[in-house]
Amino acid sequence: MKKWLVLVLSVLVVLSFAKVKIQFWHAMGGWRIELLQGMADEFMKLHPDIEVEVQYTGSYRDTLNKLIAAVKAGNPPHVVQIYDIGTQVMIDGEIAVPIQDLIDKDPTFDIGKFMPQVLNYYRINGKLYSMPFNSSNPILYYNKTLFKKAGLDPNHPPRTFDELLEYAKKLTIKDKDGNIVQSGITWPLHAWFFEQFMAVQNAPLVDNNNGRTGRPTKAIFNSEAGRRFFKLWYELSKNGWMINTKKEDWTGARQLFGSQKVAMLISSTSDVALMEKLAKENGFELGTAFLPRPKEAKSGGVVIGGGSLWIIGGHPKKEIDAAWEFVKFMASPQLQIKWHEGTGYFPIRKDAVEMLMNQGYYAEHPNHLTALLQLLLSVQNPNTNGAIIGAFPEVRDIIETAVEKMLNGEMSPEDALAWAEKEATKAIKEYNELYGY
Amino acid sequence: MIFVGLRNFDRLFHSEEYIRAIKTTVIYVGASVILTIFLSFFIALLLNMKVPGTPIYKALIFIPYAISPAIAGTLWSFLLNPVVGHVNYFFSKFFGISVDWITAKPYALYAIIFASVWKVMPFDIIFYLAGLQDIPDDIIEATTIDGASAWKRIWKIIFPLLSPITFYLVIMNIISFMFSSFAIIDVMTRGGPGDYTTTMIYRLFLDAFAFQKTGIASAESVVLFLVMIVVTFIYFYFGEKRVHYQ
Repeated sequence: MKKWLVLVLSVLVVLSFAKVKIQFWHAMGGWRIELLQGMADEFMKLHPDIEVEVQYTGSYRDTLNKLIAAVKAGNPPHVVQIYDIGTQVMIDGEIAVPIQDLIDKDPTFDIGKFMPQVLNYYRINGKLYSMPFNSSNPILYYNKTLFKKAGLDPNHPPRTFDELLEYAKKLTIKDKDGNIVQSGITWPLHAWFFEQFMAVQNAPLVDNNNGRTGRPTKAIFNSEAGRRFFKLWYELSKNGWMINTKKEDWTGARQLFGSQKVAMLISSTSDVALMEKLAKENGFELGTAFLPRPKEAKSGGVVIGGGSLWIIGGHPKKEIDAAWEFVKFMASPQLQIKWHEGTGYFPIRKDAVEMLMNQGYYAEHPNHLTALLQLLLSVQNPNTNGAIIGAFPEVRDIIETAVEKMLNGEMSPEDALAWAEKEATKAIKEYNELYGY
Repeated sequence: MIFVGLRNFDRLFHSEEYIRAIKTTVIYVGASVILTIFLSFFIALLLNMKVPGTPIYKALIFIPYAISPAIAGTLWSFLLNPVVGHVNYFFSKFFGISVDWITAKPYALYAIIFASVWKVMPFDIIFYLAGLQDIPDDIIEATTIDGASAWKRIWKIIFPLLSPITFYLVIMNIISFMFSSFAIIDVMTRGGPGDYTTTMIYRLFLDAFAFQKTGIASAESVVLFLVMIVVTFIYFYFGEKRVHYQ
């Protein structure tokens, strides 16, 4: 009897020591911290030999900075969530284990089940470096109740830039002093929308096919398409038909729309669930639509935004394997559905979409269908797959600065765009120089 | 790693953005320091007047000092929100105007200065108040008997007597506006509109932590370090000589 006890104990001790510990860093704040912890707990239940330590590391920007610091200090995490525009920096940093290498070694994993629109974004030169995880794109939200009040057809959202201007004008109400009581539209002052509207018009941001066939050497967004969008933004703001937020103020824009101060909002599809709630609370009917496109522009589509999961190298093989199991689990259909329902980021897999469809989910949630259809109906080429730029964060800031200068009347739309292109080219060249290209 | 000599500094001082950031910093720090010093001096004078209810005023005035800069920034961005903020609500109610406090020139800079002054002022008030209570009553009495007006008394007697405190506060305020104003700017304007409210410290943050341009960012921090050395030197060198001690 005693012998058995000793044996069982020693087995237990060995097992507990054999537990592989991995760290997972993410940038999803708020209620999503608990959601991700719950998902990791589920994983640990299925894999009792793996322990996942989940850590919220602040915004995307902070997470990338902390990762860089941790790599330099020699104790990087195993799995980390990095934003879309950090992809090139991560590849150039050469600190990650490309997901492609792990997929090639794992016959149980079928990448064919993933949506090509998502894979096209994260595949660089035909190689998948990270596992797509949370993906979204922008859609137009509109207040049907205010549409009716303004005498507009609530089932006919604006489809072109001209229509958007016309609608925004009709939806703007000013008091006798000329102060704005209600405005037509808003979107956060974020370069993401510039990128999206370039893709909608099937136009590239940088050379070498949007950086997809080679490293970009210069920005080329000072084009007809870029001017159209800058002029639209200028026209809307100048007349008070649009309210602008400060840089990257997503919450501010949402509040304006939720409090019915503006009738239309362009924001991420990851807000769908939140918007539906806001509409209910404030007693208005919500509609969603694709992004409007100028009549004369070519047909394009929207680009994926969001983040993906990277496995960081320099760990023992046992731990990398455990990290790979965890990443696979996070991208599995059940988990993707859970994630989708909890946040609004759409599922990145075909089978997850199929399961949701069979459950009648899309019939009940037409706004989620808008988000998904807009992506599925997008033309697939380098312009809509998204630009790959190493200096992307800086390029974004330059575009936002140019927009603010234009809105403040310091520069004309044409000059602002030309300035942004020149500065972006400079940033791209500096980045290339840093990496010796 | 490649050694590039002074290339980063060369680029820094040829970059229009950085020159603009230096100008913004000078305007912002200058205006904020002057405002803070005079406002806190007067508020301290008022608080020293033993009016009934002074402890309550004191408490209310000192609260901002206990709030973290990020919270202060958030608070002011709510109040100054052009559409749903309280400030604009009252402005449009009483004067019929509404102002884009945070997204338009030059109001964004006013908003930043206002919020920073509000945040730093209590610190100065505490020091002034302590100084005022240290001034012997007989001096004040003597001037009153000699027939000096209240205005004259403040500027010819009290303010000079407090000059060591003022000097110390100017130095401390320069430091806090140059360095710890970062959170207020980040929360309220993100350096915008354009780069209108981007100060040197905010530029450093952007280059180092947003754009990963470590080279340029290191050069910028060296520049800030030199500024600090100069300010500290002035404090220790002139502090002893030029300031009037009792």
